Amino acid sequence: MKKSIKSITLGACLSILSGTVLAEKPETVTVGYLNLVNAQLVTKSLGLVQKEMPGVEVKYIKVGGGGDMLRAIAADQVDFGGLGNPPSAIGVTRGLPIQGIMVLNMLDYVESMAVRTSAGIKGFKDLKGKTIAAPFGSTTHYLLLNALADEGIDPASMKIIDLRPNDIALAWSRGDIDAAWFWEPALGKVLKDDGHLFMTSGIMASRGYPTWDVGIVMDEFAKKYPDYVSKFLKAECAGIDYWLNNPGKTAEIIAQELGLSLEDATRMMKGTEMIPCDKQITAQYLGGTGTSSGFVDTLVSTGDFLYSQKRLPMKPSAEKFKNFIKPEYLESILK
Amino acid sequence: MNSVTETFDNNSASELAGMHNAFPKISNNELLAIRLVRFKQWLRQEKSTAFLTSSMSVAVMFLAWILVTETGLANPLFLPGPVAVFNAFISAATEGYQGSTLLEHVATSLYRILSGFGLACLLGIPLGISMGMSKRVHAIFNPFIEFYRPLPPLGLYTLLVMWLGIGEESKLALLFLAGLPGIIIATIQAVRDINPTYVRAARSLGATRMQLIREVYLPGAGPTILTGMRISLGFVYTVLVAAEIVAATAGIGWMIWDAAKFLLSDIVIMGLIVLGITGILLDLVMRLIGRALMPWTGRSHS
Repeated sequence: MKKSIKSITLGACLSILSGTVLAEKPETVTVGYLNLVNAQLVTKSLGLVQKEMPGVEVKYIKVGGGGDMLRAIAADQVDFGGLGNPPSAIGVTRGLPIQGIMVLNMLDYVESMAVRTSAGIKGFKDLKGKTIAAPFGSTTHYLLLNALADEGIDPASMKIIDLRPNDIALAWSRGDIDAAWFWEPALGKVLKDDGHLFMTSGIMASRGYPTWDVGIVMDEFAKKYPDYVSKFLKAECAGIDYWLNNPGKTAEIIAQELGLSLEDATRMMKGTEMIPCDKQITAQYLGGTGTSSGFVDTLVSTGDFLYSQKRLPMKPSAEKFKNFIKPEYLESILK
Repeated sequence: MNSVTETFDNNSASELAGMHNAFPKISNNELLAIRLVRFKQWLRQEKSTAFLTSSMSVAVMFLAWILVTETGLANPLFLPGPVAVFNAFISAATEGYQGSTLLEHVATSLYRILSGFGLACLLGIPLGISMGMSKRVHAIFNPFIEFYRPLPPLGLYTLLVMWLGIGEESKLALLFLAGLPGIIIATIQAVRDINPTYVRAARSLGATRMQLIREVYLPGAGPTILTGMRISLGFVYTVLVAAEIVAATAGIGWMIWDAAKFLLSDIVIMGLIVLGITGILLDLVMRLIGRALMPWTGRSHS
C-alpha cells in the first residue's frame, strides 16, 4: 500500500514536470500555520501558495501551538500544518494520518527561557520554589524538562504551570510568574518588562536537544492530490529563498503580519534558522531516500522522553518515524 | 413492596403453612406465579417503567459503544473502547495522572465548583428575594443583571485573569459568575409567584418583614429556588474545563484538557464520565436536601 502510494506520488510529480495533464484539483486548500516567526509568513503574505494553485481557494488558519495543531489535524480541519518535534512524536506514535514533508524552521533563540531580572535567578538551581510557565506538550516544555533533568534538579521543587504564550505575557505583566520558556512574538513583550534571556533553544540544540517545526500534509490530501503537495512545497521553498535573500523586506513583512516594530521583527528573524530546500534533504535534516535522517533521530529521542513522562501510552517505534518523514516530495521538485 | 414478597420465600411460606393448617400449602410453582404477578404489578407502575426504560437506554448505549469499538468501526484514537477507558480510570486512580491521583483531581475540582456555586447561592438567593419583594431594589440591580446575563462567561475570563491573576481567585470568580444569574432570576421569579393572599394574610396578622421572609417567602419560593440552584449548578459545570485551562496543574477539567493535548482520549472520556457522575451525585444531594427541608413540595419538583 505504502509503496503504491509512493509510486503514484512520484509518477504524478513526474507527470507535472513533463507537462502532462494534471489530476483533478481540490476546491480549497487549508494551511494551518503556527503563530511563530518563520518563512511561512512570507509565503502567506506574498500569496505564493495561491500563485502556484490558480483556481483553488487557499485558506490560512492561525494555530496557537502544537497542542491546538494536533487537535486541528485530528479533527481533519487542515490539509497542511506545522508541528514541533514533541507534538510530531505524539501525533505519529498515536497514528495520526500525517506525513512530514519539509523543515519549517530550526529553533534558536526565537524560543527562549526568560527570567525576571529582579527575581535574582542566576542558575537553574535558583528556580527552586519559583513559578515557571511553559505551554505543555510544546518544544519549550520538552526543553525545560530536559534542561532540569540534565542539571539534576527535581521539577517538583518548583511550580511548573501550563500557559499559552499570550497568557504567559499576561501573567508575567501581573507578576504571577518568575520564569517562562516560550516563543516570539509574545517573548519580546516579556523581555522588555524586567525580563532577560536565561537559556535559548539554540544552546539546547548544541547540547543535543535540537528543536524544530516540520511542515506536514494530511495522508488523505497527499494521496488524492500529490501534485498539489509539490505545488505547496515549491511555494514554501520560494518563501524560504525570499527570506534568505531579502532580509530587509522580509523583516517588513514579518513586522506587518504580526503587528511588530521593524526592530523586533529583525531580532526575531535572527533567532530562527531557515533551511534552504536543497539542504533540507541532507542527513542533518529530513535526510534523503535511503540515507539517515537527523529528524528521525530527534523524533525517536523525543518520543522516548515523552514515554518516560507518561505523555505517550506506548513506546514509540523508530519505524513509524521513518515512515512519517517523506523527503520524496522535496526531492521530486528539486530534480 | 419488597418486604411483602420476602415473606413468601420458601422457608417462611412452609412454616406459615405448618403453623396454621387452615392455610393451604403453597407450592413452589404457585410461589413463582405470585412473584411473577407482583413483578408485573411493579412493572406497571410508572416509576419502575421509567427506571427500566432508562436502564435499557443506557445499556443500549453501552452495547453500541462496545460494538463500534470492538468491530473496528471507530478509530481507537478518537473513541477508545470501554476497557481502555476503564484501564485509564484504574491507572489514574492508583498511579495518578501527571502528579495527582484521580481523587485529588476530583477533590480539587469539587472544591472549586462548590466554592463558586456556594458563593453564587450565598449572594444570589438573598439578592433575588429582596429584588422579588421590592420593586425599588429590583430597579437598582436589574439593569446589571439583564446586561450581564447573556454575556458568555468565557468572554469575561481574560478580564478576570487580568484582574485576579492566574491563581485560584480567577477560577473561583469564573465559576461564581457562571452560577450567579440563574439563581438570582429563579429566586426573583419564585418570590413573585407566591400567592399575594398569603402575604396579605400574614401581614394582616401582624407579621414583621423578617417573619414574612421566614414564614411566607422562603417556604413558598423554596421549591423554585431549588430548581434554579440545580440549573445553575449545571452552568457552573459547563465552565469548569475553561476555568482550569489557565495555569492549573490539577483538577478534573485540567486533566481532560491536558490529556486532549496529548491525544489521550481514553483519559478524556474517563474524565468526562467521572465529571458527569459527580454532577449527578451533587444534583441528587441537592434534591435530598430539598426534600428534607421542604417536605411539602411533594414529588412534583423531583
